[in-house]
Amino acid sequence: MNINWFLIVSALMFALGAIGVLVRRNPLVVLLCLELMLNAGNLALLGFSRMWGDGDGQIFAIVVMVVAACEVAIGLGIVVALYRRRLPIDVDELRELAG
Amino acid sequence: MTSVLASVKGPEIDWAAFSPLLGLFGGALIVLMVGLSSPRVIRAHGVPALTIAAFGATIGLLIWEWNEQVSLIQDALILDRLTILITLLVCVAGIASTLLAWREQAAREIAHGEFFSLLLIAAGGMVVLAASRNLVTTFVGLELLSLPLYILCASRLRSERSLESGLKYLIVGSVGSATLLYGFAMLYGATGETDYAGILTQVVKEGLMGDALFLAAIGMTIVGLAFKASLAPFHQWTPDVYEGAPTPVTAFMSVATKAAALGVIVRLFFTALLPGVDDWRPAWIAIAVISILVGNVGALGQRSLKRMLAFSSIAQAGYLLVGVVVVTELGAEAVVLYLVVYLLANLAAFAVITVRERETGSDAIGSLRGLGARSPILAGAMTLAMLSLAGIPATAGFIGKFRLIEAAADGGYTWLGIVIVVGSMISLAYYLPVVAAMWRPDTEPGVDPATGRAVLAGGAQEAEAERGGWEATLVAAVMGAAILVFGIVPQPLFELVGDVLKGFGTG
Repeated sequence: MNINWFLIVSALMFALGAIGVLVRRNPLVVLLCLELMLNAGNLALLGFSRMWGDGDGQIFAIVVMVVAACEVAIGLGIVVALYRRRLPIDVDELRELAG
Repeated sequence: MTSVLASVKGPEIDWAAFSPLLGLFGGALIVLMVGLSSPRVIRAHGVPALTIAAFGATIGLLIWEWNEQVSLIQDALILDRLTILITLLVCVAGIASTLLAWREQAAREIAHGEFFSLLLIAAGGMVVLAASRNLVTTFVGLELLSLPLYILCASRLRSERSLESGLKYLIVGSVGSATLLYGFAMLYGATGETDYAGILTQVVKEGLMGDALFLAAIGMTIVGLAFKASLAPFHQWTPDVYEGAPTPVTAFMSVATKAAALGVIVRLFFTALLPGVDDWRPAWIAIAVISILVGNVGALGQRSLKRMLAFSSIAQAGYLLVGVVVVTELGAEAVVLYLVVYLLANLAAFAVITVRERETGSDAIGSLRGLGARSPILAGAMTLAMLSLAGIPATAGFIGKFRLIEAAADGGYTWLGIVIVVGSMISLAYYLPVVAAMWRPDTEPGVDPATGRAVLAGGAQEAEAERGGWEATLVAAVMGAAILVFGIVPQPLFELVGDVLKGFGTG
């Protein structure tokens, strides 16, 4: 299979994730979109790894998976803490700090 | 089975050179364990003391390795002068932040053991990042520093602003990481290598300068790193996160993260991507100029000291980049020198803010009013910090800016030096009102200007000093004194940062 297909799919995933982070309001969906962006990177790594015929990219991808899991765990932890404070679960409503 | 195990050979590890990292991560484990003990005094005072001991031990192990230059774990990490200097900065920032956090509400809320071990892990991540010579270790180091900081920002679990700043930092930081990862994936795709030396060889051999994939890789890497170093136009998260996070965490973040990010920028772009210098230089120049302008203009008119320092840190990061874009040894030395003086000034300022925040409950510039009469040490340290950040002669900040402008002129970018001077001139307009607020006499004696409440007699003042804590005052005094001493006798600083590129094998 041509490497281009891997790259096209991964670029689409990355763009979808980035758009999702920008437009979706629910922090849980934003976290999902972040996962999508990281996994787009993983797919690109795996495609390139196959192209070069070595294992470096695959090892990199496994490391990234661990990191992504940690990130989501922290994100969910903060969302739960926010929920306990009965704050609105909507990133637009987070205006305590005027940005 | 044994034969299989015998045939698997682990990488050679030079344990002596690896020991500073072990100091930080081992310290994190010990602090976490001790944090579980039941006597309250051990948790509240033993844990921070142990944290300082861990940072101190790391500094000791570093000085042991001062002139070494060792590549660790099959060239994944390297211990050279740049690594040593960045580690030193991170540890000093860590000790100061621990002292500031000693009586902090946040440390009590998420438990002392967790708070301080996360601080140590973040410091370890910064060292890994600055030492990395491989895309995988760079990414791991970056996340190892970011993930604990997300938690530390949100560590005041009962404060909505703290939780909000943690979530914002997590989202923006993760976008930065994902962008950087995609850039690294393309860099790997273009060269087929993950270690910096291999990338360098491939880029030269295949003549990849100007190649579309290589250019896209450089672009996304720059964007990802700019997010982490809070450079404009990727800076929008900075004021919110700095304001919402507990002040000791902000102090650590503003100084140590910047040191680690600049360390990795220097190493990655001066070694692996050096042949593509004409491709990446214009991008960094644009980011540096925009950061200097946006940071300095944004800081005007801020009423919160933490927000003001956030914008000022964006501008300072822009100044630092000027030392990178000239791509000379002088430039790299100027970057590290400026990191040192920036550390001194920012830590002094945040120490004073910590004390005032505990006393008045606010970080508005008004909370400093009349500080000069009540506490000359704090007011003096804050004055020196502001003057140093603005680059007034006889402070360390002047020496740092002087070196950066010298490096810019020497590298043929005199106009960037002029941009630094213009930025510094704008910055006086927000640094000087802080100084003025402290030394102007109180208009209404007997009324606390920050809160508007009537000040009670002597007893209340003593209670205030108790709440502020002597540790923060100590940090402010030491940093303030260092600003003055290095401003007048800069020679030790020059000797410290000399030969920073020793071991790069390139110009």
